[in-house]
Amino acid sequence: MKIIYSHLQKFIPQLKIDPKTVADNLSLIGHFADSVEKIDNQVVIDLEIRQNRADCLSYYGIAKELATLYQIPFVTPSVNLPPITKKDKLPIKVTAKSDVKRIMALRLSNLKNTPSPTWLKQFIQLHQLNSINTIVDLTNYIMFLYGIPNHAFDTAKSTNHLIWELNHQFDRFTTLDGTKLQLHPSLLMVNNPKKALSLSFLGGQACAINLDTTEVIFEMAVYNRSKVRADSHQLKTITEAGIRLDKELSHHLIPPAFSYLISLILKHCHGQITSQTYNYCLLKEKPIIINFDPKQISQYAGVSIPNDFALDTLKQLGCIVNKRHKTYQVKPPHFRRDLNLIEDLIEEIIRFWRYDKIPTDQPISDQPLPDITPPIANLTRSLKNILVSLGYDEVRSWPLIKESQIINPKTVIRTQNSINSKYPALRQSIIPSLINQKQQYHRLKLENPQFFEIGKIYYQEKVGDYQEKYSLALHHPNVTQLQTDIDTILSQLQLNSNQLVDIPLIQKHRQNIYVEIILDSLANIVDQKHLHQNNNFSAKKQKRTTAYELTGQITTLDANLNLKNKINPTTLIRKYSKKIGQHLWRIVITDIYHDTAKKLYRYTFRVSYFNLNSATAKTLHLKVFNLNNLK
Amino acid sequence: MDQKLQTLQKNWLKKIRLTNNADQLEQIRIQSLGRKGKINQLFQDIKKISPQKRKQYGQDLNLVKTTIEKAIHTQTQPAKTHPSSPSLKSKTKKSTFTLPKIGHLHPISITEYMINDLFLKLGFSIYDGPEIETDEYCFERLNVPKDHPARELQDSIYIREPETLLRTQTSSVEARLLATAKPPFKVAFPGRVYRNEKVNKSNHFVFHQYQAVAVTKNINLKNLFGTINLMFETLYGPDVTVRYRTKYYPEVEPGVGVDLQCFSCHGSGCSLCKDAGWIEMGGAGIIHPIVLKKAGINPKKWRGFAFGMGLDRWTMAKYNIKDIRTLLGGNLAYKPNQP
Repeated sequence: MKIIYSHLQKFIPQLKIDPKTVADNLSLIGHFADSVEKIDNQVVIDLEIRQNRADCLSYYGIAKELATLYQIPFVTPSVNLPPITKKDKLPIKVTAKSDVKRIMALRLSNLKNTPSPTWLKQFIQLHQLNSINTIVDLTNYIMFLYGIPNHAFDTAKSTNHLIWELNHQFDRFTTLDGTKLQLHPSLLMVNNPKKALSLSFLGGQACAINLDTTEVIFEMAVYNRSKVRADSHQLKTITEAGIRLDKELSHHLIPPAFSYLISLILKHCHGQITSQTYNYCLLKEKPIIINFDPKQISQYAGVSIPNDFALDTLKQLGCIVNKRHKTYQVKPPHFRRDLNLIEDLIEEIIRFWRYDKIPTDQPISDQPLPDITPPIANLTRSLKNILVSLGYDEVRSWPLIKESQIINPKTVIRTQNSINSKYPALRQSIIPSLINQKQQYHRLKLENPQFFEIGKIYYQEKVGDYQEKYSLALHHPNVTQLQTDIDTILSQLQLNSNQLVDIPLIQKHRQNIYVEIILDSLANIVDQKHLHQNNNFSAKKQKRTTAYELTGQITTLDANLNLKNKINPTTLIRKYSKKIGQHLWRIVITDIYHDTAKKLYRYTFRVSYFNLNSATAKTLHLKVFNLNNLK
Repeated sequence: MDQKLQTLQKNWLKKIRLTNNADQLEQIRIQSLGRKGKINQLFQDIKKISPQKRKQYGQDLNLVKTTIEKAIHTQTQPAKTHPSSPSLKSKTKKSTFTLPKIGHLHPISITEYMINDLFLKLGFSIYDGPEIETDEYCFERLNVPKDHPARELQDSIYIREPETLLRTQTSSVEARLLATAKPPFKVAFPGRVYRNEKVNKSNHFVFHQYQAVAVTKNINLKNLFGTINLMFETLYGPDVTVRYRTKYYPEVEPGVGVDLQCFSCHGSGCSLCKDAGWIEMGGAGIIHPIVLKKAGINPKKWRGFAFGMGLDRWTMAKYNIKDIRTLLGGNLAYKPNQP
C-alpha cells in the first residue's frame, strides 16, 4: 500500500513529523515500510499491510494509527451534499443475497467529465494506476482514501437496471483494460438483463466511463470476502479492489466514503443527483464487547504499563470504553474487525507503548523441565559427530526427485501441484542424491570426496498411509575403508553387527561404495545415555568458515621447488598455504627427491585452486612458486 | 555374457575389493590387464571362438576389461592420497605430504547445533515432527481456517489436496507438540519446510527453519525477547542489535517481527538489507489462546511463547553463498584440510 505523505494530512492535519520517522514508526507498530521515496516532489511510503488489517489498506486506517501513536486529532473530511429531493428509485436487484453485505448507489446526471486535474492525475499515477478521466480517477481516489472499492456505470451503456447476481448466463467478459476473460458459472457479478457489466472486483468495458459520459450510477459495496477471493483465484486476476474486498471490510465506512465520493464528483464534474440513494444492508451484526482488565497487560508484557495510557490508547483507536466495577467493557470501532478478544486489546496497548521499552536481558528461566527429546534426535546428532571425526563431509540434498530416480513405483509418494514438475516425487532413498553429488564433485574436479547425508526418506505402504523415516547414507571411494568406518560407527554407538541381524538396516549400492542405513529402528536399540556422551561436539569448533560455494572447476597445478636444506614438509605446506591465500583449495607435497649430485632437495607440490579461472590460477601459481623466471 | 567371463570378472572384482595396498593392486593390475595378463590372453584366443559368437564375445571381453580398470582405479585413488607421516623419508622414495583430512558439518547443521546447544542449556528439549502434514496441524490448529487470507502467504505443495501437504512451516510441529505434551514444557526444533516456489538462484521450494516453544504459567514478552536476544548473541556475539515490531501471525497474539541490525552495514543501509539497515529474521509472539484451546490447554491457566526463524538467508550471508541452491547439494564443498 503506497501512502503519499502529504495526503495523510487530510485526516491528521497536525502531522508535522518528518516522513522517514513516520515510516520507521509505522514499521514498529505493524505496518512495515518497504521504502520511502521522493517522486514528483511527493514523499511516497510503501507499506506492507498484514492480512488482518484491511482498514489500513487506506489513508483513513493509516492516519488513525498515526493519530493514536502521536496523540494528535483525527478528522474526517467535511461533506456538504445538496439535499436529495428526487423520488426516482434505482431499479437495482440483489439476487446473490448471501454474498452481498452492503450496497449504496446513486445516479448523477448532466455530468461533464474531463481529463483529471493535475493533483488527481499525480495521486493516481503515484499509486501505479493509469489516469483515465476525472470520474474514474475519483472512484479510485476514494478507494485509496477509505479502502472501499466502488464502481461507476455509464447509464447510456448499462441502463439503470443493475443486478447483483451469481453468473448464470454470460460466458465472456471484457475488462476495462480490454482483457477478455472466460467466465465461470457462479461468479459474483453486477449485470443488467442483457450484458455482463462488472465483476465484484473488476469493472467491465460494457459500461466504461469516458469523456462523453453524462449520466452515471455510482455504487459502493462490500461482499463476502471468501467469495471475492475465490472468484479472483478462479480468474487468476488480482486488482486493487480485489485485494481490499477479499478481506474483512467494515460496511459502516460506506456511508462516509460514498458521500465524499459524490461530493467530489459534484465538485469536479458538476451535474445533479437524479435518484434516491439506494441503500442495501441485510446484515445484523452483534456488537463485540470485550471485558478488559488492565492488570492483564503487564502479565503479558512483563513490564508495568500505566492504566491511563492503556485506556487513552483504546479510546484514541476509536474504542468505546466503559468502566464496570474494577474492570472495563470495551467496544472496538466498526472498522477494526481484528479486535475480538482481550488479547487483541492487549496487543494494541503494548504496540503503542512500544516493544522497545520492554527489556531484552531477561530470558526464560533455565530451570530444566522433563526431557521429551525423541531418541532419533540424539542419534542423528551423535552420528554426525562420529562421521565428521572420521573425515566425512555432510551434504544435504533435494527431498523431491525426478521420475527416473523412483526406486519403487508402488510405494512412492507423489506431489500433486508442485510447480517444479520435473521433480514429482519424494525420495525413497538418499543414495541417488549422493550419486548426483558425487557426479557434481567429479565435474568440479574435486578428488576423492567422502561424504554423508542424514535426512528423511518417504514411502506409503498402502495408498494414503504416508511414512517418513530418518536415513543415513554415506559414500567413500574405498570400499574397505567404508566398511571399517561403519564398524567404527557401530562400535562408537556400542553396537555390534549381531544386533542388526533382525533388522534390514543396511543397503549397499554401486559396488558397495554407497551405504544407506535406516535410522528409526536403530534409534530404539542404541543406549541413549551413551548418545549424550557423543553429543559433546562443540559447534564452536566448526564456527570457522569451511564451506564454500564453488563457482567453477578446481584447477590443479604442479610445481617443483629446489632447496639446499631439508625442511619439514608441514612447515613448507603452511608457508605456501599462506602465500597462496584465499583461493587455495588443497596443497600436497607429492614427492621429495634428494639430488646428491647437485646437493639439492626437490620438493614437488600439487596445488588446487578454487573459484579462479584456469588462466588466473596459473598466473597466481607461477607467482607464488616464483616460476616465471624458469620460463 | 559368457558364464566364464562372468565368473572371471566376479573373481577379479572380489580380489580388488579386498585389497587396499597399492603394491598388491599393481600386482593385480599386471595379472589381469598387463601385456601378459589374463585379459590380453583371452583377446589373443578370440580367434578360437566361432565367427557367429566372436563379435559378442569381443564386446563382453571389452566390458570385463573396462570394469576391472575402473575398479582398480577406484580402489587406487584413496591409497595414493592417504596422509603419510610428515617426516622426511628416504632419498628417492615417493611420499605424499598434506594436512590430515577432517570432516565437516553442513553450514545449516552448524547453525542448528549452535542454537540447540543454547536451548539445551536453558532446559529445553529438542523435538521433531513429520514433514508430510495434514491441513489440521499445518493450518487449522494454528488459527488459520480454510478461507483465511493468511493461507495465501504460504503456497503449499500438496500430496493429496486439500488434506495432506508438505509442511509449510515448523509451526506444524508446535501444533503436534501442544496436542501431545503436557505443560509445562520448553521445546526447540529445527526443521525443513516446503513452499511451492520455482527453484532459481534466489528461491527454493525447501527452506530450513528453527522454532522454539515454551508453555508455563507466567511466561511473558520480556522472557520471549530476552530468549531471542540471547540466541542472537550466541550466533553473532554480544554487540548484536535486535528490534521487535508488531507483526501479524495468526497463531500468536501479540505477535512480533524480529529484525536484526544488518550485519553487513550495521544499520546504515546496503544491498544486503535493501537499504533498510535491518534484516528480518523471524516471527514470534505469545501463543494465541485459540491455539491453546484447540490443543486442550486452558489459556487462563497456561501461557506460552513461540518463535521461529529462517536459517537459509542467515547461513548464506555467513558463508558468502550467493545461490540458494548451493545449500542443498551441488556446488557446496569443504576445503579438505581446513579444520
